[in-house]
Amino acid sequence: MAVLDMGVAAHPKPINHEARTAWGLAAPALALMFLILLVPVIIAGVLSFTNYSLGNSGFDWVGTQNYERLFTRSTYEKMFIATFIYVVTVVPISVGLGLGAALLVHSLGRISDIYKTIYFLPVMATLLAMAIAWEFMLHPTIGMVNRTLAMACGSWFDVIPFFANGCNDGFPLWLGDRDYAIWVVCFIGVWQGFGFNMVLFLSGLTSVHRELYHAAEMDGARSGWDRFWLVTWPALGPTTVFVVTISCIRAFQVFDTIEAFWPQGGGPNKSVYVMMFAIFEKGVQQNLIGMGSAITVLFLIFVMFLTLIQRWLVERKVHYG
Amino acid sequence: MAGLEVTSLTKQFGETRVLKGVTLGIADGEFVSLVGPSGCGKSTLLRIIAGLETANSGTVTIGKAEVTNTRAADRNLSMVFQSYALYPHLTVAQNIAVPLRMREMTSLQRVPVIGGVMPGARRQKHSIAQSVARAADMLEIGPLLGRKPGQLSGGQRQRVALGRALVRDPAAFLLDEPLSNLDAKLRVQTRTEIAELHRKLGATFVYVTHDQVEAMTMSDRIAVMMDGEILQCATPEIIYEDPDDIRVAEFIGSPKINILPIEQSGAELSLFGRPLKWREIGESTRAMQMGLRPEALRLTQSAPHFKGRVAHIENLGAEIFAQIALNDEGLRVTLRASPAERPLIELGAEVGLGFDAAAALIFDADGKRMRKIEIIAGLTPEVA
Amino acid sequence: MTREWWKHLVLILGALIVLAPFYMMLSYSFKSPGEIDRGEGGFFGRQDIMIDPRCVALRQPDRADIEAARSRFPGQDDAGVQAELQAETEAACSMRPVVFNYTKAFTEAPLMRYLLNGVIVTVSIFLIQVVVALPAAYALAKLKFWGREAVFGLVLFCLLIPVHAIALPLYILLAKLGLTNTYAALVVPWTISVFGIFLMRQFFMTVPDDLIDAARMDGMSEFAVVWRVMLPTAIPALLAFAIFSIVAHWNDYFWPRIVVTGNRDLFTPPLGLREFKGDGDGSFFGPMMATATVIVTPLIVAFLIAQRRFIEGITLSGMK
Repeated sequence: MAVLDMGVAAHPKPINHEARTAWGLAAPALALMFLILLVPVIIAGVLSFTNYSLGNSGFDWVGTQNYERLFTRSTYEKMFIATFIYVVTVVPISVGLGLGAALLVHSLGRISDIYKTIYFLPVMATLLAMAIAWEFMLHPTIGMVNRTLAMACGSWFDVIPFFANGCNDGFPLWLGDRDYAIWVVCFIGVWQGFGFNMVLFLSGLTSVHRELYHAAEMDGARSGWDRFWLVTWPALGPTTVFVVTISCIRAFQVFDTIEAFWPQGGGPNKSVYVMMFAIFEKGVQQNLIGMGSAITVLFLIFVMFLTLIQRWLVERKVHYG
Repeated sequence: MAGLEVTSLTKQFGETRVLKGVTLGIADGEFVSLVGPSGCGKSTLLRIIAGLETANSGTVTIGKAEVTNTRAADRNLSMVFQSYALYPHLTVAQNIAVPLRMREMTSLQRVPVIGGVMPGARRQKHSIAQSVARAADMLEIGPLLGRKPGQLSGGQRQRVALGRALVRDPAAFLLDEPLSNLDAKLRVQTRTEIAELHRKLGATFVYVTHDQVEAMTMSDRIAVMMDGEILQCATPEIIYEDPDDIRVAEFIGSPKINILPIEQSGAELSLFGRPLKWREIGESTRAMQMGLRPEALRLTQSAPHFKGRVAHIENLGAEIFAQIALNDEGLRVTLRASPAERPLIELGAEVGLGFDAAAALIFDADGKRMRKIEIIAGLTPEVA
Repeated sequence: MTREWWKHLVLILGALIVLAPFYMMLSYSFKSPGEIDRGEGGFFGRQDIMIDPRCVALRQPDRADIEAARSRFPGQDDAGVQAELQAETEAACSMRPVVFNYTKAFTEAPLMRYLLNGVIVTVSIFLIQVVVALPAAYALAKLKFWGREAVFGLVLFCLLIPVHAIALPLYILLAKLGLTNTYAALVVPWTISVFGIFLMRQFFMTVPDDLIDAARMDGMSEFAVVWRVMLPTAIPALLAFAIFSIVAHWNDYFWPRIVVTGNRDLFTPPLGLREFKGDGDGSFFGPMMATATVIVTPLIVAFLIAQRRFIEGITLSGMK
């Protein structure tokens, strides 16, 4: 890196000099950006058209065969369905709960800081550890969830079919049940993520100018509902776009819980076989690099598409400048 | 339109008493300024009138109705905020229309799409659009109606905020330091415009400011506030020429009024050891300080009342303010001189000063005005 | 308060659900296997003295032990001596469940090693990120050079690429270089934080040019400006970024799972816990939850102590 003295006024071409220093300072970052981020994207793109495996000396070009498989085989159909269900469930619920919690917490003043702390705990905690804790909670026989549900047996809860069935035939196996597995994973995704969204919304809320609420009151906005639509919601526009995007990207990347619950095969009947797990299983465990790369490419397209939509929205729709 | 009245208002924030029993009556159509240094409680008083804060005790009456416990939205007041508080996502036209939409349309009518097909919605929309156009015309912001607040200059935003206030026909207008975010030139211009707007509308205006010039130039009456109390509420002329309190005298007027100590021995009053000729009407109290406006001082060579050295000169063109050091302890007075007198004032030169006895304001030790004592016009001749 | 009770009710219900797994994790780490199986003992368990069956099984007295111990128990036959020895072993192997769980957590697997690895990996990642990102951010924010817009455009583009998503090609690269199962594999992919560059650049934009010019007048080189002027002014932003980076990499499971296979010496805490679970025969809930507690605790405690900073740091990404 060039260590050059800018204080020397007699330097012939200071601008040129500054440019050289700047490139020098940015060089390590640029080199790493190419090597670690851009080259792998290209590698993934190239390998997705091959049948490469680690350890093989060469590979064959297979054209779009990997992509064709991706869109025809039932395994991958399940992968798309599981990913889609997860994203479409977790994103709106965690964003909605985050917004609701933020509004409640914001309206309560200082004492509500304790809720903020509690809701943020799952964001800090190692997800893998918490996934194992949830696995014990959801243990069919000795788990806290089913024990708690069983306590309701014999009370008026029996009117609800779910409880009636559970009390007679046992409560669900949760993680072992193909009807429940994906929803349990979704639930944990929401559990883990909504506190993060809440905090983002809270920081959005504190940036709303208080005089706007006073102006709304003077203008005759009598109900909290009116004030929400007149002041709060528009002010949260940019925050909401960001929260939705980041929730989507995080939801697409779900992996820890699924690998912890079902190290092999993506859950009962592959019902939770999400994309990250598929990349891991195909590419790393089964050494089908071509296939894994094809999924990677598709994944990148999804994520980039989402972020670009976000940037476009922020610049076009919710920009009040 | 209506007058308003507040009686014995008190307000506490924790331990701090922000308002200590404020009583003020404002007549219908009057322009009253609440002026005072920051932290004097003027904004709190305005917010209590608006209904945005509740007083600890006391009452607020608008017209004939007591509104102490009525919420802000139901008091029929309009307010212009210091930060303008425009809704950033709405266009200028939509911003101005908000008070009408909120008050005249039901919440169902306000729902997008569905609201449009509700009975009467079209007619209502039309009448709101007309009111908005009228307000925009009055403020000459017609061309801005389609823009968003982010695309406007400070002065334009200020007009939009005014427009939002006057699109309705409220009982009174409340303005909270509306000019403080404008640059100096625009402030002078907008000052005139607001005063003219008041005359045109004939409405009640309550105007909060920390700038005494704004208060002096715009108001029918000025209420000078300090430490949670109204010290004096009167016309600008009275506030300037006949203040009740030394704090009022000091706050109003630029440059600041000169305060000089008066010595007293027996029945003698003297200024810098020179006896004053005075007369007392009614009972006696001890006079301690004399206030002299810069224009009440004059340069004189014959029989000056006191002498000093010119320490600093500010030439404003039409007038000259000179600071004269009277003694070595740093006591200075400010003198207003005309440009013709410029040759007489040289930096460091000794000058003799006389004063206009009729304009001398006498205050007691606590700063209360003493109207019972009158300095008699003539000067006591200088004793060698 | 009275009008707002329903808000508290809703929030408390939410808090219970959020806290449930933490409660369970901590509670199981205190309890004996029997209490866990039967679901009794409240939060702390009864803490009755329990006997570690594995410990007893390992110390089963054999013939030689009985012979050797015969002198200590005069007048006893073989069965008698064996019973006495058995009793001694059981006494030596009995302990409170909480002690049992936490000693097992540290002895069954090299948990200390895992924690140390976690610290090494997260700290080196953060330090390298700063060393790489800070000069680049400074150049982008404060120096004028041909191509600056292009470089910044590249940074914005790279923000679109989540490192987890390109894990597979990165893994292939590292495998080709023979770097899998090394510390380097754990650290290298994270050395470039595009987000860090972006964040620091935004921060540096707010630093007045006068400050830099003053430093140059004092005769500092650009390099010195970065480390002696910009770094100190950036401390608040760096702190937030540190929290963001450390939390992400301490908790990361996906990447270590891919590049570290089998070599326990390189396991990060989540990997260690995962292996513990894989080994477990099911009755090892207590020690496993103790391990989980040990892994989760450092960040949670740090968070509880410096809440405001943590929330700021984690939500930093919200400033984009």
